[in-house]
Amino acid sequence: MRGPGRIAPGLLTDATRPVGFRFDGRRMSGVAGDTLASALLANGVRVVGRSFKYHRPRGIVTAGPEEPCALIDVIGPDGREPNRLATTLALHQDLAAESQNRWPSLEYDVGSLSDLFARFLPAGFYYKTFMAPGWAWERVYEPLIRRAAGLGKLEAIVGDHADPAETLHEHADVLVVGAGAAGLAAAHRLGASGLRVLLAEQDVALGGGSLLDGRWDSWRAKVCAALRAFHHVRCLPRTTVLGAYGHGVFGALETLSPEESARFGGLRERLRIVRARRVVLATGALERLIAFPGNDTPGVMLAGAALKFLRHYGVAVGQRPAFFVNSDEAYETLFALLEAGIACAGVIEVREKSLAAERAHALGVEVHAASLVAAVSGRRGVRAVRIADLGGRHRRWLQADCLLISGGYSPVTSLASQLGAALNWREAIAAFAPDLAPAIGQVAGSARGVFGLAAAARDGERAAGAIAAELGRSPSGAGLAAELPPDTEATVMAALWEVPARGKAFVDLQNDVTSADVRLAAREGYEHVEHMKRFTTHGMGTDQGRIGALVGSAVLAQARGVPLAEVGLTKARPFLEPVPFAALAGAEVREHYKPKRRLPLHEWHESAGARFVPTGLWLRPLVYSPQPGWDAVLAEARAVRRSVGITDVSTLGKIDVQGPDAARFLDLIYANTFSTLKVGRARYGIMLREDGMLFDDGTTSRLAAEHFVVTTTTANAAAVLEHMEFHLQAVCPDLDVLLTDVGDQWAQFAVAGPRSREVVAGVCEGVDLSNESFPFMAAGHAVIAGIPGRLFRISFSGELAYEVAVPARSALAAWSALLEAGRPCDITPYGLDALNTLRIEKGHVTSAELNGNTSAGDLGLERLLKPHGDFIGRALSQRPGLAAPDRLQLVGVRPVDRTLPLRNGLQLLDPEGRAASLGYVTSATPSVELGSWVGLALVAGGRRRIGRRLTALSPVHGESTEIEITSSHMLDPENLRVRG
Amino acid sequence: MSAGEALGAASEAPGVELAACAVEIVELAAFRARASELSGISRGLGLELAAPGRAAAGSGQLSVCVRPGRWLLLLPPDSPGAQAALWQRACAGVAAALDHSSGLVALHLAGAELREVLSRGCRLDLDPEVFPPGRAAATLMAQVGVILARLPAGFVLLTPASTARHVREWLTATGRPFGLTAGPDVTVAELSVAAPAVGG
Amino acid sequence: MLRIPCPWCGERDETEFRYRGDASRERPAGDAGLTAFTTYVYARENRCGWHLEWWLHVGGCRRLLKVLRHTLSHEIRAVGGPGDSLG
Ligand SMILES: [Zn+2]
Repeated sequence: MRGPGRIAPGLLTDATRPVGFRFDGRRMSGVAGDTLASALLANGVRVVGRSFKYHRPRGIVTAGPEEPCALIDVIGPDGREPNRLATTLALHQDLAAESQNRWPSLEYDVGSLSDLFARFLPAGFYYKTFMAPGWAWERVYEPLIRRAAGLGKLEAIVGDHADPAETLHEHADVLVVGAGAAGLAAAHRLGASGLRVLLAEQDVALGGGSLLDGRWDSWRAKVCAALRAFHHVRCLPRTTVLGAYGHGVFGALETLSPEESARFGGLRERLRIVRARRVVLATGALERLIAFPGNDTPGVMLAGAALKFLRHYGVAVGQRPAFFVNSDEAYETLFALLEAGIACAGVIEVREKSLAAERAHALGVEVHAASLVAAVSGRRGVRAVRIADLGGRHRRWLQADCLLISGGYSPVTSLASQLGAALNWREAIAAFAPDLAPAIGQVAGSARGVFGLAAAARDGERAAGAIAAELGRSPSGAGLAAELPPDTEATVMAALWEVPARGKAFVDLQNDVTSADVRLAAREGYEHVEHMKRFTTHGMGTDQGRIGALVGSAVLAQARGVPLAEVGLTKARPFLEPVPFAALAGAEVREHYKPKRRLPLHEWHESAGARFVPTGLWLRPLVYSPQPGWDAVLAEARAVRRSVGITDVSTLGKIDVQGPDAARFLDLIYANTFSTLKVGRARYGIMLREDGMLFDDGTTSRLAAEHFVVTTTTANAAAVLEHMEFHLQAVCPDLDVLLTDVGDQWAQFAVAGPRSREVVAGVCEGVDLSNESFPFMAAGHAVIAGIPGRLFRISFSGELAYEVAVPARSALAAWSALLEAGRPCDITPYGLDALNTLRIEKGHVTSAELNGNTSAGDLGLERLLKPHGDFIGRALSQRPGLAAPDRLQLVGVRPVDRTLPLRNGLQLLDPEGRAASLGYVTSATPSVELGSWVGLALVAGGRRRIGRRLTALSPVHGESTEIEITSSHMLDPENLRVRG
Repeated sequence: MSAGEALGAASEAPGVELAACAVEIVELAAFRARASELSGISRGLGLELAAPGRAAAGSGQLSVCVRPGRWLLLLPPDSPGAQAALWQRACAGVAAALDHSSGLVALHLAGAELREVLSRGCRLDLDPEVFPPGRAAATLMAQVGVILARLPAGFVLLTPASTARHVREWLTATGRPFGLTAGPDVTVAELSVAAPAVGG
Repeated sequence: MLRIPCPWCGERDETEFRYRGDASRERPAGDAGLTAFTTYVYARENRCGWHLEWWLHVGGCRRLLKVLRHTLSHEIRAVGGPGDSLG
């Protein structure tokens, strides 16, 4: 196939720097500055893919992000990335691209047979054809549809191979979206007023439409230089504003230039989250298609796109183009091509006459006035077009190698719609134009329906002036408008949506939606434009159907017999352009996905051979052994039961509560009473949510009359503080209480086991640790290994135990001293697994049981609810439903065959009853003391079932074990050990 | 060259410099309606309490206010808990004095491209016209809570001790394209040089 | 995304705040009974229009804010402390 090729120097290309690339395995050559699309066109490539539903051959239709057809796969060293747009993808050396949706090859595609069976695949076929039987969906229909209709193919480019990206936070007085004539003029005037401006332009160069008109080069250069000179104005080319999120927040995606990417270690995208006080939407207007049979033939292209390919890249998209137009603007392409030496086949013009047609005629171009294109011949590329009169009657065939069409220009309204702008119908341009509230910003230029570069620039200045005044700046007259090249006088356009002729006329080229599909939607009752969209999938592709959006609405309006203004447009939701997930994730991936919280002794645990487990954000030592299995865990737990162990519990939440009303406040927050707690004592407490369910538990110690320190579970540390702060400020603001998070300030260690007293005594000078002077639940200040700290006699393991707290900076000194003092007793550091084993044996609960669905009664803690006085959750904890006898209650479980293991999540069933679950195992562990596995479980009416046997079932593992229900207090129910 | 000049130079220098900052940190939290009394006590001890959203310096110390009625004092190194105990005695009944010397880690950041680095994790507008020297704020950065104070010699960043390594690693990774370097430790006396004497 | 003007910290991203529910509700007296508390905890109007709500500035000053927000447009008309009566 011989291509039309590159015929002139391009504004953005450097013809002296060739760039080699591959398309579908074929070696080709482009030049620096090309997009893949311009390079393909320069190489004469016409068919770049197959369509989504009918697998029809498709070519390049536009020259920008609105492209519906030229989606391709990019093959990188780490995999394949689908759905990149050839029209925006910058060409680089050795780029390897493949067309999509064809098998086995682009030229011969088996799926295109579906085109012949198209009448069996009407719009809405998802809803109807595949309705029944239900089972067939998963097994037959979905795999079939996916294979036949998939857009591209996703391979493993996620995980370690994903391209890096980053997120950036931006602030500005004004965000200007679009750097065409209007945007540049607006940014300049705003900058001159002293406002901080961000100017975002999706293209690689600033200028928009002014880049297509040589008369504007000097004005543009002057404005750009002035913008660069303002230190408070920043221009961001290659940056697409993806969505408007209200309150002046916008998301913008920057694709880095190769140089910038190299500086940032291969970074590809940068997501900028912009906060701006006002916005100028200078997003321009998009040329729209016309629905006529064969309007999807490769070689049918928007006229403006052909102009862009010529000016930006020096590429002529055809050697003998025909035109099908309805406005004077579209003739600019014709004049430019003529000037570049391309002979044109002729212009098919809807209007009877126009100034532009007269100019064309004067240049020797044949203009077929009051005519339409009724058909295109050539399946893999335009060969001829059939001209018809306005009634659709045949006139003649016209030989051409491409057809450049223009159905007029629609202001780009997506961002304005997202910001709640009203869309007003404008007859003169046959399009909707938005109207933005001044408190949000201004729409300027052709985005507002003000066509013509000079008019747009003046409108940009107007918009900037209005915003400057709004923000209290004197709008300094920049005087740029005086130097504007004048706009050409133009004849008004004539609306044309669809050609009355037989054959598939597409309104959405990406999703293969035809005008007939839209009419079918109307007949089926999907009359609202948003319903039509979902029925036909019009506008649901990656391009959001932009170039055919209004055409679809127009066809719908005609089918319903109502004015187009009444039908409106569908709302384009964010994102306005496909965004790789990697760009959204930014730098927060892999090891940076979540912050890690580390213990003050993290390095010590590491050097002691700890295996770490992430719990919430924390990294906690699980067991001090590299070996999997329970041996090491049980050795650690056994040391605690037999002698003494030490574990790092610094992850517990710690909240300092001070003030004259501290005790009263805790009485309200906790279900039990703290005002009666003596100074120097600790008390176990439970707190409820206001709905009566258990929220958290922990010990609270009274260090002074008006000073308490609360401990929370690791998991709920932040939530408990918020809960307290909320209630202090909202419910009892009169209480004089100070709440301070001191979680990171204090390192805390539990020293547990029958010999813990001698270990702790060895580091606490001058403290009498006898039961008489420091009994169970004693608490207070203490000097530990010379460090001012705190000492608590509390136990989670069920053994005689102490918790030692020191400022985290001194953690290593205190920990080392305890290890040293414990050496005669073989003190053993133990990890989270052993801690869990010990607490399960003892029947203490953690987040597995405090799961948000359990009440105090369910866990056997009802005795802690104070009988008198208010507390959060009191009223609803007395709901009758919470007293129901079949509530899931906490019990212990053991396998009847003592040699068998248990596991978390086992479902418990009555072997004689119905096969319905009575509950489940929440925590399970092999036991040190009891000679078998033991577990905690939540069982319906569990306490009544103590002594009974149930079947424990894990369908997932195919396991069934007989268990017996016991009390949850499996070890030392009289609490003799902790008081020893 | 004095320490102050050295820091001043660092703030103009290209790239970004990250340094540790050895300080004692004490939080003063006033009981109900006792804030002005607390200010008096503090003034008596030679330290002006900053206005809300500000950092203020006095006699080699800094006070930072990012929560109403509460001040973080950045004080020269001392034995553990000694400063907190001293302040607790001084404001008994008027305010609580809580030691955060272990709970918060202070970093010093300076350099011409610092804003570029911070904007990759911090949502605040740190434009010098919006957030000039003397301003302070509590916010999120790199997904964790931080306190930022801008001083003539750069920023002081306070982060919870458990996430300090994360923040350091994040700053180091994010600052790499901007030539981030590790600087020598900074003292609070050096920080408070040339800081605005009075908040407000 | 909401930008909430915190009276203490200035305008901040919603990300820094924790939503704490309907601020037009007042917790009943402790002995008000089950019905009063059921209404307090569960009964919500789900109104389209101006709505008083609690936002706790956990990523900033940790103060609880009362915010008057329009549930359709997201416009924030007023922000104050717990004791302020807005709009
Ligand atoms: Zn705040």
